[in-house]
Amino acid sequence: MSLTSVQLAPKLSTASIKKSWDVYTAFDWPETLPEDNWYMSPELMSLYGTEYFDSLSEAQQKKLSFTELCNFFSLVLQGERPLVQGLAHRLYLKTTEPPVSDYLHHFIDEENKHMIMFGMFLNRYFGKVYPEKKVTIPREYAKGEEDVAFLCKALVVEEYGEYYNVVMWHDKNLHPLVSEINRVHHFDETRHLAFGRARLVETFNEKSKNWSSDELQGFRDWLAAYLKSSWGDYYNPTMYKDAGLEDGYNLRQMALEHGRAHREKASEVLVNLLVENQILEQAPEL
Amino acid sequence: MDEAAVKLKLKEWIVERSKIPVIDGQFSYDTNIIEEGYLSSLDIVEFILYIESLLGDELDMEELEPEMFTSTNTMYDTFFATV
Repeated sequence: MSLTSVQLAPKLSTASIKKSWDVYTAFDWPETLPEDNWYMSPELMSLYGTEYFDSLSEAQQKKLSFTELCNFFSLVLQGERPLVQGLAHRLYLKTTEPPVSDYLHHFIDEENKHMIMFGMFLNRYFGKVYPEKKVTIPREYAKGEEDVAFLCKALVVEEYGEYYNVVMWHDKNLHPLVSEINRVHHFDETRHLAFGRARLVETFNEKSKNWSSDELQGFRDWLAAYLKSSWGDYYNPTMYKDAGLEDGYNLRQMALEHGRAHREKASEVLVNLLVENQILEQAPEL
Repeated sequence: MDEAAVKLKLKEWIVERSKIPVIDGQFSYDTNIIEEGYLSSLDIVEFILYIESLLGDELDMEELEPEMFTSTNTMYDTFFATV
């Protein structure tokens, strides 16, 4: 039987202390990065597998791999900002068990280090962080739904990112700094994912039992749309423009149309968790 | 692109993405597209990118407010009328 989040928390806290690292000394930051290098594994790139991608020169593909990596680091950084905010809000609530509050301190510390790490890379080698293209429009939630939605959002940014982390960590063709950042990120994320998966299932089971069928359906519709919308962040028109490619919006539409199989593969672990625990009734269209 | 052409493009985008049927005579450029359920907040993410493609420039995300996306007219006034 799998452990609950309260049972997991002290084990994860112990592991976080044991594996603690210093973001300011963990990496050797070269003065510049060479242009003639891969920065994102081609099979992860949004245009990979399209005729358009094949029509690009290798130099153009490598340049695009850099802006795609910068988009990836940006969207993870931007996703971690509200995650830290939400985790901090949950510290020491009456409903947050003491071992969980203890672990949330590590979770926040590690997410903060990730943001520093991505921010250092982006500011040093790219000169900017891509902004988050989101506008928060207030809406009504069923009782407890906001809590479940927060855990879903946290898990989405981490599960999608984790797929990319593992592939890029093992890709020997990438610049070693990029592989190392992905390796470091992966090891913290495995703990966050273990906690987040357990916590989401428990919280959903607790909160959703009091929802009406309309409220449950409304939540599931939102979650399915959120999973799809979150993938849209990986197809940023500005990153195409920054790589010297024209008509970024239409490139995005073409890539989105083409990349469904990739998105389904990269989302498989998360979607299986959601479906197996009846958080979603079926795998959504991604 | 003139005002009429921009508003028509915005309307066409909304119609294509709408969660509910868009019936002629019921949808105007003043229709509240979020409150009346034509688009969700997640659709607005995609809409921002479309507006940027029409403008040929990026929007300053730190300046955006939900009210700017209330209707076709508010979007035109906010993003296009001052260009």
